[in-house]
Amino acid sequence: MGHQLALIRREIWEHRAIYVTPIAIAVIVSLISLAGMVTVSAFDKEVHLALFSASNIAGDAERQAALTVFFLGTSWVFLFALAILTTFYCLDSLYAERKDKSILFWRSLPVTDAETVVSKLLTAVFVLPLFTVAAIIVTHLVNLVITTGWVMAKGGNAAHLVWGSVTLFDNWAAALVVTLASAIWMSPLIGWFLFVSAFTKRAPLLMAFMPLIIIPIIEWIFFRTKLFASAVFGRGEMIPLFREMDFERFFDEDRMMVNEEVVSLLSHIDVGGFLLSPSVWVGVIVCGLFATAAIYVRRYRDES
Amino acid sequence: MTSLVSARGVSKHYGKVCAVDNVSFDIENGRIMGLIGPNGAGKTTLLKAVLGLTDCDGDLSVLGLNPFRQRKELMQNICFIADVAVLPRWIRVSQLLDFVESTHPNFSREKAEGLLAKTKVASRRNSRVRELSKGMVTQLHLSIIAAIDARLLVLDEPTLGLDIIFRKEFYANLLSDYFDEERTILVTTHQVEEIENILTDIMFINEGRIILDTSMDSLGEDYVELLTAGEKADEARRAGPISERDVFGKKVMLFEKPDRARLEQLGELHTPSVADLFVAKVKGASA
Repeated sequence: MGHQLALIRREIWEHRAIYVTPIAIAVIVSLISLAGMVTVSAFDKEVHLALFSASNIAGDAERQAALTVFFLGTSWVFLFALAILTTFYCLDSLYAERKDKSILFWRSLPVTDAETVVSKLLTAVFVLPLFTVAAIIVTHLVNLVITTGWVMAKGGNAAHLVWGSVTLFDNWAAALVVTLASAIWMSPLIGWFLFVSAFTKRAPLLMAFMPLIIIPIIEWIFFRTKLFASAVFGRGEMIPLFREMDFERFFDEDRMMVNEEVVSLLSHIDVGGFLLSPSVWVGVIVCGLFATAAIYVRRYRDES
Repeated sequence: MTSLVSARGVSKHYGKVCAVDNVSFDIENGRIMGLIGPNGAGKTTLLKAVLGLTDCDGDLSVLGLNPFRQRKELMQNICFIADVAVLPRWIRVSQLLDFVESTHPNFSREKAEGLLAKTKVASRRNSRVRELSKGMVTQLHLSIIAAIDARLLVLDEPTLGLDIIFRKEFYANLLSDYFDEERTILVTTHQVEEIENILTDIMFINEGRIILDTSMDSLGEDYVELLTAGEKADEARRAGPISERDVFGKKVMLFEKPDRARLEQLGELHTPSVADLFVAKVKGASA
């Protein structure tokens, strides 16, 4: 394990998209929200503080819910970008070194193939999500500062209307848990991409997705079933992390009116249930098998 | 004396093609061995077997290790520069030094910095490898390798594509910065003339077989080149040269295990160049 930190640092050096992508999205989201406020202020003088004060939003809890929903919305943008980033990172990670012929240099150092592949797996499952969560947190802070400026310019009490209305740590903890759990949940695909990256002689993107499209077609032709497609493409929606999410209850006016509850995203997340779910562990095992195959290919294939 | 590399009946097949055919040799500590052979002779395959990059039949031991099974241990005491083992183009010079320092137990950062300070790379520490010239990349690679306290250095066409100045400098630096009695070098190259004066031993390989394995010292005793002409040439031909060629109207003949006293009567004697001997041997082997 001694080499893992050096190897992971190497991955970040090589794949600058790991931090450039979340930063770029943070900037875009912040600019959009800034532009939104400017536009709202310019065209609709009626809106003013109404967005944040009690006139059309019932009370503290509802305002809290509204801000949380805004945060959730921006977080989904980051998660979507993370999925694309992870796909491209994995497909490149064991392919680029063969394409630029640097693999023999890396292999001339006393680092095993297993250590190398594991470092790429750890980068995909933990490091990429952590950079994304950091960017989510920074984006939230930047947007709160922008909102504070807007509210203060309108003569509102930002400390109460903005900062008093968000459960920051609850939001951030939820972002961290959801992002990491999503990466672990989707790890079979991460493993598959790493294997394709180690295995393919050309066009890793095509080689990775072709079987995912062809196998369901063959399955449908011969068995009239959609098991593979639902297992692979449906997996994202089946993550066993959330308690029964009842959006009607989330925005239940009665509850909010009386300020009974603090809006908490974490309360909807069931980490124990996630960790005890067999489908999580089956996924981790599938990921491990693909990663092992990737190690085997890197170790034993004769490149000439 | 202990053998650093010891091969007994080593073979490597790619399908039906036999790249290395039942080869046996030893490389002893503190030697500089040149492995010379035409394209496709099996040089690179043999080096890959020594480096543990490919499996092979027979017994091959490098530093007492099985190179294919014990690669990690092997790589702590062995370095290689190959034309194909290029440095990653995206990495910065300083990052490369950081990475090798944190993964190689026998790497001396201080020594590498000292060696780099003498090269043009010194002022380019923040440059990426792709921004350096090919010569600078080779200097960088050699500086890193020379700063690794390894017992065996394997060089596979290390100067391919470099201009003559860099090539000369490369081998000069190799001797001054890297080589000592504790270290051993195994090198292959097409430009035999440039390395023959630094080699202590030489091995010719052709069609997967070793056709010559000797020290440079005994090369001068075992082989002689005769420059002769006219009737003396006919007489010399009866002594059984392994090759004959024309140079400016004279005959140059190469003899193995020569009868020097007799040949001296027939013309001028020289120690053959490695390149000429190589051509004679390869032609002789395929004739």
